[in-house]
Amino acid sequence: MSARPPRLLLPFVVVVYIGLLAPLVVVVAVSFGPSAAFEFPPRGLTLHWFEAFFASQAFVTALFRVSLLVGLLSAALATVLGTSAALGLVRFRFFGREAVETFFLAPLLVPEILLGAALYLFYARLAIQASIWTLLWGHLVICTPYVIRSVTAGLVGQDPRLEEAAMSLGATRVQAFVKVTLPLLRSSLLSGAIFAFIISFSDINLALFLSGPGSTSLPVHIFSQIQWQGDPTIAAASSLQIVIIGILILVVQRIFRLRLVV
Amino acid sequence: MRPTTRTRPIWAFLTGPYAVFLVFLLLVPFANVAMYSIHPYSPTRVFLPELTLDNYRKIFDLYYLRLFGRTLRLGLITTAVCVVLGYPLAYFLARAMPRVQALCLFLLIMPLMVSAVIRVFGWIVILGRKGLVNQALVALGLEPVKLLYSETAVVIGLVNIFVPFMVLPIMASIERIPPNLEEAAQNLGANWYQMFRRTILPLSLPGLISGCLLVYSLSISAFVTPALMGNARERMVGQQVYDEVLVSFNWPSASSLALTLVLLTVGLMFCALFASRHAGRQETAR
Repeated sequence: MSARPPRLLLPFVVVVYIGLLAPLVVVVAVSFGPSAAFEFPPRGLTLHWFEAFFASQAFVTALFRVSLLVGLLSAALATVLGTSAALGLVRFRFFGREAVETFFLAPLLVPEILLGAALYLFYARLAIQASIWTLLWGHLVICTPYVIRSVTAGLVGQDPRLEEAAMSLGATRVQAFVKVTLPLLRSSLLSGAIFAFIISFSDINLALFLSGPGSTSLPVHIFSQIQWQGDPTIAAASSLQIVIIGILILVVQRIFRLRLVV
Repeated sequence: MRPTTRTRPIWAFLTGPYAVFLVFLLLVPFANVAMYSIHPYSPTRVFLPELTLDNYRKIFDLYYLRLFGRTLRLGLITTAVCVVLGYPLAYFLARAMPRVQALCLFLLIMPLMVSAVIRVFGWIVILGRKGLVNQALVALGLEPVKLLYSETAVVIGLVNIFVPFMVLPIMASIERIPPNLEEAAQNLGANWYQMFRRTILPLSLPGLISGCLLVYSLSISAFVTPALMGNARERMVGQQVYDEVLVSFNWPSASSLALTLVLLTVGLMFCALFASRHAGRQETAR
């Protein structure tokens, strides 16, 4: 018998990856194909569906006015909330710290579709109209834990004595934080922010409930277009999302350890 | 100066904002759901003052029992398929060279981060009436089959979306097993399969368990995949909640369903968290 892993392991892994990536490859291919009937493999190469995407008021609004805007705002606010929470959890010892830590990761344990429903019913109870703000508050709930994770990982690898050294040299606590800790946290902060953006940008489960008439996010618009049997403009929209997310994940992998955030 | 700053509870200022945020946008909304779930439904009024357990009793009606049964069953099948596909992948990744691992990790996490809608859309194109699979069947001289809008399609979609959640925890626990343990077992005369069964498998069990719980609780609360790839008559609980909230406006009934499902999944996820923490402790103890 062989001492090495079975020979079939590598082909098996390749097959699993093909299955994993097949839907994305097909979507991108369809978006460049001339046929309106979601033909794969495509018979030609055209940018027609991308033109259609940018000509469509609904798609452009969904991408630029809603998804990108809410994504960037979520990333910015989640980074502030999450970094401050991570600092409190890592740098201080207090009663109930573990409970607070678990509470802060709780949004990852609650199914998103049910969180969306709960927030919808809550806003309805308070008679708050759906807008990009209702969507943003919802996204902050689910984005911030990723920042907390990433910044916690960055802080744990950092020697708190560096900050103490700065303070013993005359810096105040705030100065020491801004001049020593923050620059050292740069890459984990950026990774956390990027992940917060991605989570908001690709979210559908919350957005289905929290999007209003003027605040339909790109995934929700794609969802309704699939239900209404739209044309490959859906594929063009999907390709744009795939490219944006692919680039951002590459950046995280370059500057930080991907697995510490996921 | 310094002693006063020491005694001030800085941690409270730091953790406070997100804590307040979560209280108002996680705890209060679910408390509101719990409130709705114990009040009766009225087609004309949003809220009736009297209390009832009817919304929970209704879950034991045949329709809802079937709904939950189907959901839990599809979750189980999805989890099993994810184990079969994910475990070998996790082993491969854990023992791959750093460069291969980085590339494969990117290819694993990138699809995970793309919106579920898009991956489901890809499967609709592949499995559709004139899709890739049926084109291949026709080319082979066979009859095209109806793949989409069935339980099989839903399971394919769910597995595709959730397999990374199985791979990552298993991979992490296999990585903690020193490779020379494998060599030692083999030097003592075990072949690869014996070595695997006696060392890798038992030591990676915490990762396997947390992967299973994670995938199971994610798939029983799925919405997009069954909504777009499933049969309209064979629905899952997530779809029922969505419809009762946004289509039939039966909020008390939706609330009882949502609360039942949330308790189920959060319970499972806590077990997963505990399993992975426990594994971490074992590691530090060693």
